[in-house]
Amino acid sequence: MSLSLKSATAGLALAACLAGPSLANPYAEYEGTTLIVNFPAHPHYDAVMKILPEFTAETGIEVEVDQLPYLKMRERQTLELGQDEGEYDLIAYVVFSKADYVFADQLENLAKYFMNPKLSDPGYDAGDLIDGYVYNIGFAGGDKGYLQGATGSLFGIPYGSETSVLGYRKDIFDKHGLKVPETYDELLEIACQIPELEPGMGGLSSRAASGHHAAHAFLLHLNPMGGAIFDDQWNPVVNNEAGVKAAEALKTIVDCGPEGATNFGFGEALGSFLNGDTAMFLDTTVVAGQIDDPSKSQVVGKVGWALHPMGTERASQTGGFGIGIPANAENKEAAFLLMQWLTSRKGDKLVAMAGGNPSRFSTHADEEVNAKYPHMATFGEALKHADPDWRPIIPVWGKINADLGTTLSKVLTEDLDIQEALDGVAERTKGVMTEAGYYTWN
Amino acid sequence: MSTGYEKQPTAFYALIAALVVMSVGPVLLMFINSFKLDVDIISGTSGLIFLPTIQNYETALCDVLWYKPDHVDHCSLKFGNAFINSLIIALVSTVLTLVIGCMAAYALVRFRFMGRDTVSLSTLMVRMVPPAVLLVPVFGLWNNEFCIGKTTYVGALIRETFGGRGDVCLAGTHSGIILVYVAMNLPFVIWILQSFILQVPRSLEEAARVDGAGPFQVFFKVVLPLIKPGLAAAAIFTFRIAWNEYLLASALSDRNTKTVPILIVNNMSEFNVEWGVIMATGMLLAIPPIIFTLFASRQIITGMTAGAVKG
Amino acid sequence: MRRAVANRLTPYMFMAPAVVIMVIALLYPLGYMVWGSFRDWDPSQTIGEAEFVGLKNYVTLWHDPNFRESLGVTLSFAFFVVTFEMFIGVGLALLLDRNIRGMSVLRTLFILPMMIAPVVVGLMWRYMYHPTVGTFNRVFEAIGLPKVDWLGTNALMSVIIADIWQWTPFIFILSLAALQSLPRSALEAARIDGATGWQQIIHIKLPLMMPVLIVTGLLRLIDAFKVLEVILVMTEGGPGLSTEILALRISRTATEFRELGVAAAMSNYLLILLLFFTVSMFAFTRWQEMRANRLRTAVEEDE
Repeated sequence: MSLSLKSATAGLALAACLAGPSLANPYAEYEGTTLIVNFPAHPHYDAVMKILPEFTAETGIEVEVDQLPYLKMRERQTLELGQDEGEYDLIAYVVFSKADYVFADQLENLAKYFMNPKLSDPGYDAGDLIDGYVYNIGFAGGDKGYLQGATGSLFGIPYGSETSVLGYRKDIFDKHGLKVPETYDELLEIACQIPELEPGMGGLSSRAASGHHAAHAFLLHLNPMGGAIFDDQWNPVVNNEAGVKAAEALKTIVDCGPEGATNFGFGEALGSFLNGDTAMFLDTTVVAGQIDDPSKSQVVGKVGWALHPMGTERASQTGGFGIGIPANAENKEAAFLLMQWLTSRKGDKLVAMAGGNPSRFSTHADEEVNAKYPHMATFGEALKHADPDWRPIIPVWGKINADLGTTLSKVLTEDLDIQEALDGVAERTKGVMTEAGYYTWN
Repeated sequence: MSTGYEKQPTAFYALIAALVVMSVGPVLLMFINSFKLDVDIISGTSGLIFLPTIQNYETALCDVLWYKPDHVDHCSLKFGNAFINSLIIALVSTVLTLVIGCMAAYALVRFRFMGRDTVSLSTLMVRMVPPAVLLVPVFGLWNNEFCIGKTTYVGALIRETFGGRGDVCLAGTHSGIILVYVAMNLPFVIWILQSFILQVPRSLEEAARVDGAGPFQVFFKVVLPLIKPGLAAAAIFTFRIAWNEYLLASALSDRNTKTVPILIVNNMSEFNVEWGVIMATGMLLAIPPIIFTLFASRQIITGMTAGAVKG
Repeated sequence: MRRAVANRLTPYMFMAPAVVIMVIALLYPLGYMVWGSFRDWDPSQTIGEAEFVGLKNYVTLWHDPNFRESLGVTLSFAFFVVTFEMFIGVGLALLLDRNIRGMSVLRTLFILPMMIAPVVVGLMWRYMYHPTVGTFNRVFEAIGLPKVDWLGTNALMSVIIADIWQWTPFIFILSLAALQSLPRSALEAARIDGATGWQQIIHIKLPLMMPVLIVTGLLRLIDAFKVLEVILVMTEGGPGLSTEILALRISRTATEFRELGVAAAMSNYLLILLLFFTVSMFAFTRWQEMRANRLRTAVEEDE
């Protein structure tokens, strides 16, 4: 009975295939499955929530979403992925979790799914995915252990990834005849001019709150200044000249920033830009949707976008989230189908139209998307400079990041000497790295 | 002296008015803001003049409303679910703590097999332990040690009835959170009830025993009705802690057993602080304690003074 | 005979549930924590898999400037909070210890801040302290005062103010209760002798209230080390480590840095510190009781 049913389904599928690929239903086998997925509370994933019903309608696979703030999400995942059998079928992970999860063998290698003819969609067009993102978020095992390269392979697909762009208030810039900054020198000069030209307005709103926020803001400036956390031998070089310059830039920006800037998290920094309290915003591309949303923003239509200014080089961040399948998941194959659907050309465009961050070059160039979000073209341009090695993605990074963030916050609030502060970070980082065994081969 | 009210200088009343504004003001402010749109909250112009809206409450309660509010395109906030979890956890742990605490307090007072000193010492000791200290061990134990293997009979049974995957662990269940709260509150409850039971005249119990009542009957029929005020005070304090606690609940709950404080902290997430909705959820969380305060302030004060003055 | 056995067992049966729960959910976890503090323990491992490292976690912490700073923040938070609350609370109690209409309503309103969830308290204050939309800065702006960077450069002070708001009523109510239970005869006698209000307060009321005040203060001190949610919601410990009290650092170490062993060791340090306070408080009440007893027997012997 069941056999005949199966062959009937197969026959149907065959018929469907013959009738044309659009009618094929690779999802039939998984119809009625409920996938439990773990997503962060993040504008991109809010947009994803809007398109998920379409996935269910198309495939018959139900999706139950557990949405958490992203640091919370990471804690939850640490716990869930460590179990023998986990609850989540698909997770979105913060880029720096990649190291932890892959190292602990908790994420599925995607090769076996892309090799499976029943699952893998031939029209997926992986080459269209933004390579900087894929290398940064999806790959592991290649260069430096955490990047692409001859020995690397794919563990996740970028989704809700972001790069950095400069948002500026067109009206303010026009009013005072300011030129959109191309370089860091110009950026810093304008940032400090604005409070004088427009009393009560801050120059650039940046995150600066203790911990992750301050570290992130610092890293944004570090690469364009030609700096890095480590050299090729894993020696901390954060305290070199470029590092000091980046920290000085951060301090200048915060000093010339809006009131209370030293305690800004990402939300506050964005909030003050949305509220019209600052003239510039240099951070992730994620925010574009909110800036154009009149219920959240007072600056709708007044914001222009430009590339992340250059210091000694152009280097915008790569970061955000990727999606992957936990090794202890129950419905891995259905999860792969969801993953593939979400990141397909169609899914990517849908999420872009709903206000998310596309992961494909084609979506950035798409006419419809550009008509709705004119900034997409600039973002696409920015992606060409996206640096996959923007920050080290190694298991001990969390600890170094926390130390860096706390120390920088002290620089900003307690006037700690920059060189001294970064020397301290470098020294402690060296200790952490020694303990983790990074100098074993030296 | 004790009859009639004394007349006081005006400055005195001004001071009192100022104190009242200070203690109630923030709560009132939250109440008012919870009826404002975010735009109204953020734009500096409006003070008391604004168009009240229940939109924030609709957004907060979207998963339990019978209709779909127009302005909510996706109901992501599962407040209703969290509220029910909070209620279950707070009520069950209060009842359990009271029952268990009552029995223990009675035994300690009436049977004198352990010194009162031991109890008061341990009460103090436990009062001293911050929830943060329990975080690490409780997290480890509840997730890894207090588990029933899924291959065992009971484990398999639970998995079959309730679904889910992996070994059956205390973490992520209501019972896991309730257990911690009961343990945290027990010493305090025992301490308070003990002082009330001490005041129950022994002769009443003797009389009941002569009439042939067993120890359980004596306890339920004679002692319990007499210590009601103590029970009320203990109940409010236990409920308050279980209702308000965040840290341990956040370490032990999973997506289905989240309580309201967790939800509020999660929603202060960094991407955009929606003040209106957050204030609405905060207000909803604050309602039960406010009700207690207004209707049972005497019991609260009793509990507080008994806990401190005699402790 | 069977009845006698049952009776003898009754107290144990009454005690059993409480004892079992306390052992499972309190004592065992505390022991587990001490055990875990000697290990290099990651949240994805069970404790058995974690490597035993002896006292390493304790030594690392001892030399860790961040831990020391956090300890300093905790101590100064506790010190300022308790000091201010004691002064304000006792002062108000002395001032309001009058027979006025509506005292019970007043007391009810004062309890409110204590009953509300710390998470909500943090939320309200975070809003009020907001640099631009917050109540304080708006009021300051309206009356022409410079704005204050509340949760930025003055974060610790702001956090302390919020705690004072929430917990001063506790001190107030307890000292009011203590005041009202003072022997009226002593006060009457003082009044007849012509003591002024201040003299009454300093020579009679305060000394008589002292035992209660000290216990109250110590209770508040112990509770001040437990504050976590309010600060978490308001500042998350920042900027820098300026409001990162130990309880918060423990939770961050466990969840964010994923070092359960270190967090356990830190918990132990905190426990030892609190144990010191608690024991001194217990010793104090003992001493007080003994002195009272001695006085009483002395009086009885006199008679």
